[in-house]
Amino acid sequence: MDRNRRRQLLALPYVAWSILFTLIPLFVILRYAMVDKEGHFTVSYIFAFLSSVNAKAFLISLEIAVICTVICVLLAYPLVMVVRRLKISRMSFMLFFLIMPMWMNFILRMLALQMILSSNGILNMLLGFLGFPPLQIANTNTAVIIGVVYDYLPFMMLPIFNTISDIGEDVLEAARDLGAGPFTVFRRVILPMSLPGLKSGITIVFVPSMTSFVIADILGGGKIQLIGNIIEQEFTRSSNWNLGSGLSVSLMLFMLISMTFTIKDEILTKRPAEEISEEEKAEPRVVGDGVSRRTVL
Amino acid sequence: MAEENIIELRNVTKRFEDDGSIAVKDMNLAVRRGEFVTFLGPSGCGKTTTLRMIAGFDTPTSGSILLNGRDITALPPNKRPINTVFQRYALFPHLNIYDNIAFGLKLKKLPEDEIREKVTRVLEMVDMAGFEKRNTQTLSGGQQQRVAIARAIVNEPEVLLLDEPLGALDLKLRMGMQRELMRIKKEVNITFIYVTHDQGEALTMSDRIIVMNKGIIQQEGDPVSIYDEPQNAFVADFIGESNIIDGIMLKDCLVRIQGIDVECVDTGFEPNEKVDVVIRPEDLVVTELGAGFTDGLVTEVTYEGAYYDIRVQAADYEWHLQSNVSAMPGTRVGISILPENIQIMHKPRSSDEEILKKD
Ligand SMILES: Nc1ncnc2c1ncn2[C@@H]1O[C@H](COP(=O)(O)OP(=O)(O)OP(=O)(O)O)[C@@H](O)[C@H]1O
Ligand SMILES: [Mg+2]
Repeated sequence: MDRNRRRQLLALPYVAWSILFTLIPLFVILRYAMVDKEGHFTVSYIFAFLSSVNAKAFLISLEIAVICTVICVLLAYPLVMVVRRLKISRMSFMLFFLIMPMWMNFILRMLALQMILSSNGILNMLLGFLGFPPLQIANTNTAVIIGVVYDYLPFMMLPIFNTISDIGEDVLEAARDLGAGPFTVFRRVILPMSLPGLKSGITIVFVPSMTSFVIADILGGGKIQLIGNIIEQEFTRSSNWNLGSGLSVSLMLFMLISMTFTIKDEILTKRPAEEISEEEKAEPRVVGDGVSRRTVL
Repeated sequence: MAEENIIELRNVTKRFEDDGSIAVKDMNLAVRRGEFVTFLGPSGCGKTTTLRMIAGFDTPTSGSILLNGRDITALPPNKRPINTVFQRYALFPHLNIYDNIAFGLKLKKLPEDEIREKVTRVLEMVDMAGFEKRNTQTLSGGQQQRVAIARAIVNEPEVLLLDEPLGALDLKLRMGMQRELMRIKKEVNITFIYVTHDQGEALTMSDRIIVMNKGIIQQEGDPVSIYDEPQNAFVADFIGESNIIDGIMLKDCLVRIQGIDVECVDTGFEPNEKVDVVIRPEDLVVTELGAGFTDGLVTEVTYEGAYYDIRVQAADYEWHLQSNVSAMPGTRVGISILPENIQIMHKPRSSDEEILKKD
């Protein structure tokens, strides 16, 4: 009891931090979103995303976020399978895929990517050497997608890697033993067992790729207007904090609603384990190769 | 039943690349249809490796593996009509018991009602009826093992491989599961290849025991012959407990142990050949001083329930006896033996044979 108290005390700094930098700004934004310049209550800013310019930006953001998330998933699985084959430890995995890229500043990485992709950049130079026509990637949606995938792929890989490296080799061998070829082993065992990791990965990648504006700014050359860019401009250039806040709130609500789809599922899958009757609990239990639902972040 | 070979190993050698050590060395073996064969040997002797090569998880470095006379050395595990019961069960944690057992049948695209019928039947066989909907993590070790067995035999494989399937269970549960496995074996009539390092388990369950050490077959035979007529000191020592002592074969039926000439029944040795003499503890009898072939000092007596475990120091050797009459520690007694209970074994000669010796 006493110890619990003390543990709770340890959480105080975190609570203070959250209140100071998350909750208070959130309320400030909420307040701005619900009043007009004269301070009268209005919902027009929250519904401002319905206007044609904003709605278009919203849809493009959504489209890019979905495409990026899908590409990340499609890239993450084969990469993670290769990493598993190499028997790399969790620590070196994190170091290699997460920490090392962070040694280089995010903006610098994006600028480097811009130089590679620009119309007379490294990529087109290489293509020219090989006798191919140049590609017009810079300042397009494609450039933004490449940037987002490049930046967020590790965050998709990590939770998937975590669940997949928890799968015992003998479980995969059991599947093969029972008649599953390599593809079936993946579809029937690896994929379902990595679902918790996949869900975290989607959450971690989808939300920021929907709201990011820096990548679109740098790689889109100011031509790609994502909802994040519009919000940013309302706050900075137009100084219309009320509209910026309104759009932010609607974006947040949208995120919350889309997240409940994945989270709701998670709650449903957890329930059966908790419903085991007392009599069953009394039996000795072997903690076998159960997948832990541990995910990072 | 026809005495045909279902599995054959021909000159199978397995060398692991990483360290170049040989796990299985030039093994030749034939398993007959319907047989219960057990690989028995100490840790690291290559039992699992042999089993994994039969299952297809490892490929032999050289040699070939035949199933019903057909070479399956290069066949992947999913194409072999062989199923495995893994030591750590290896159940699918994301599937319930029903789906775990139905896994193989679903891959074979059997109709749903046939799958249901087979799963129900096999669950009854392993005494787990009604557990279909349960989660694997909520089962006890013994129950998980039953599911693992059910998941393998429901596919009606030609051969069932079991790698220390009872290794993780406590003693009492083990004994129960041993009987259970033998009953299941009778019911399904599948060839069993079983791995254990527990000699009691091997002796109880098997039709034939393959004793292995350091990747080499030391002896194969039915449990009685393995126990009663071990062919070398390693087998004698590994199967049951034994007194193993140096001796000299003076002539047929006479061996000299510690300077004492003792009558035996073994023949066919060179005159004055150095041999290993193997005597089971239960064959030695405590007698009055001077009445046996040697005398010694009782150093230790422990009551083991069914018998007394007695140590008697005679010259430089401590004899190990199991007797149903006790002796007083600190007293001197005689030890006697019947000639037919003495086993005489050749000493290993070449370096290759040296491996056969227990380390
Ligand atoms: N994947 C591997 N890589 C390298 N060496 C291996 C590998 N698997 C097994 N070995 C080696 O091969 C030898 C035989 O191993 P194996 O697992 O077959 O023994 P075992 O008889 O099953 O032992 P245990 O009773 O401990 O399970 C051991 O020396 C082991 O270290
Ligand atoms: Mg083993």
